[in-house]
Amino acid sequence: MRISNHPILGKPEEKREVEFTYDGQIMKGLEGEPIAVALKVAGVKIHRYTKKYHKARGIFCAIGRCTDCVMVVDGKPNVRTCITPLKEGMKIQTQYGVAAKES
Amino acid sequence: MTRYDLIIVGAGPAGLSAAIEAAKQGLKVIVFDENAKPGGQLFKQIHKFFGSKEHKAKIRGFKIGEELLKEANDFGVEVVLNAIVIGLYLDKEVTVNINDEIRHYKGDAVIVATGASENMVTFDGWTLPGVIGAGAAQTMMNLHSVRPGNKVLMLGSGNVGLVVSFQLLQAGCEVVALVDAAPKVGGYGVHAAKVARCGVSFYLSHTIIKAEGEECVKGVTIGEVDSRWRLVPGTEKHFEVDTICLAVGLSPMSQLLKMAGCEMKNTPAGYVPKCDETGETNIPGLFAAGDVSGIEEASSAMIEGRIAGLAAAENLGFLDKEELSEKIYELKKALLSLREGMFAPGNRGKAIEKTEEGIDLSINLLKKGYVGETEIERFPGVTRKKGVHPVIECTQNIPCNPCQDVCPKKCIKIGDKITSLPTLDETKECSGCGMCVAACSGQAIFLMNEEFEPGFAAITLPYEFLPLPSKGDKGMALDRSGKEICEAEIIDVKTKQVFDHTHLLTMKVPVNMAGKSRFFVVRRQENE
Repeated sequence: MRISNHPILGKPEEKREVEFTYDGQIMKGLEGEPIAVALKVAGVKIHRYTKKYHKARGIFCAIGRCTDCVMVVDGKPNVRTCITPLKEGMKIQTQYGVAAKES
Repeated sequence: MTRYDLIIVGAGPAGLSAAIEAAKQGLKVIVFDENAKPGGQLFKQIHKFFGSKEHKAKIRGFKIGEELLKEANDFGVEVVLNAIVIGLYLDKEVTVNINDEIRHYKGDAVIVATGASENMVTFDGWTLPGVIGAGAAQTMMNLHSVRPGNKVLMLGSGNVGLVVSFQLLQAGCEVVALVDAAPKVGGYGVHAAKVARCGVSFYLSHTIIKAEGEECVKGVTIGEVDSRWRLVPGTEKHFEVDTICLAVGLSPMSQLLKMAGCEMKNTPAGYVPKCDETGETNIPGLFAAGDVSGIEEASSAMIEGRIAGLAAAENLGFLDKEELSEKIYELKKALLSLREGMFAPGNRGKAIEKTEEGIDLSINLLKKGYVGETEIERFPGVTRKKGVHPVIECTQNIPCNPCQDVCPKKCIKIGDKITSLPTLDETKECSGCGMCVAACSGQAIFLMNEEFEPGFAAITLPYEFLPLPSKGDKGMALDRSGKEICEAEIIDVKTKQVFDHTHLLTMKVPVNMAGKSRFFVVRRQENE
């Protein structure tokens, strides 16, 4: 998924690899990249399920406008993952309606 | 409450340009932007811009963004990021959400340069993960170095759909189809042609019927529509894709202007404020610049921004009326020249059949994305000559002239009218330097030598993909539609800093294929 060398932009800026959890699973991403990008690279497409009809939603606009990609991040729901930078140890959970699934 | 001479909303091409001009005149300027980085969409635009020198033609969008930021910095413009302007009130009071706190500012003048947001289109399955906006695709691949998908279907043949399709190919994605419900390609023909020659099929008069998949996109079905947009039964086509990309237009984000009480109007370019020629709305001292005042290119937005910045300076007494009109004279001229040609804002929705020179437009280009073999000969840039010479497949009147500027031998002529099709001066000798091939933002210029070797021709083409072929590589030549037509061998690869990442490949093909061969793929190793 990552573009290691681009014909116009060249090699991407080097970033530190960090660990985070996605619904309890340990995953790796690059520090400072949007959470949504790290999840995409890890193969996660579904960010949340709608409250009423339980329909899957994922990245749509990728610039923080549409709010389709919101998830529960470090316990806070409705975080726009496409514009929120990934940090070491972040706890990221699929959002069901407006909350994480109760375990 | 904090007071500024000028408050600008939006740090994109228009907002930054306005800030620079106003700061140059001595105004105390602050720019708010809701994003974490300034530059608006410029940093996602990796293609070379159209226009002429004063429009920064042949420079890639992200480089223009870097230049603007540097200039803004040099003139001491204050840019506040992650700052969402949530209100614009009477007397130009502005409320801004910064770190979840509402702060209150007042500007003696305000320029709104909020840009535009993407339009959406609904179809069965449109909310599935995997259906994304074209802007999202650009953001992922050009800012975050991640492919948005492996197999992508693009909906929309305007410039955004075409440019992003090409960028998807550059990022290593497969574009399985380019679909548009309109009967004709909406964007520049040259953008379409460079996508088509890579083998992407165009489906005009087609629309998406359904995005398939339970929880994410696994496929898509499209179908043909008739002249009244009704589906034609039995025309369904299915593609296996993991991503559907929507490029169906932009809408001005003019909400703040409406909120401030500006007189608004509905136009083909969106719901926009009524403005005078400097971008001033009916509220004195409140200006609009860039896409928020009507969707155009970033090149126009930058000029509109500069004009609005100067007009704001005049409004506050930093410039007198005469100085203002003197300063904006050249800018207005540059803006007008960008608004000429068949894609001019005034031509939206009009059916144009001939070029300004009276040549019939290529129908194949509008229907399939590439100029047909029998059509190409009628355009003035396509000539035959002994020895090496350029072949310019520029068939629409677009305001653009870098080819004329860069030719050291003055072989290429556009003239004073920037939208004219380039012609070749037969009395001048082409040196084969390839500057025009690399400078053409539409990648529509090729160098041809029909007498390279007995029975073989040499064709030089622009190439912006990886891996870059090397001299001696054998492969296939592709025609304008992307079909493999004959064997080809790379005989030269030119890479120069001045070409700015556009490499020049020269391939050898049988001479009878010279008129058709327009792209190259390395031969697939079947035994691997």
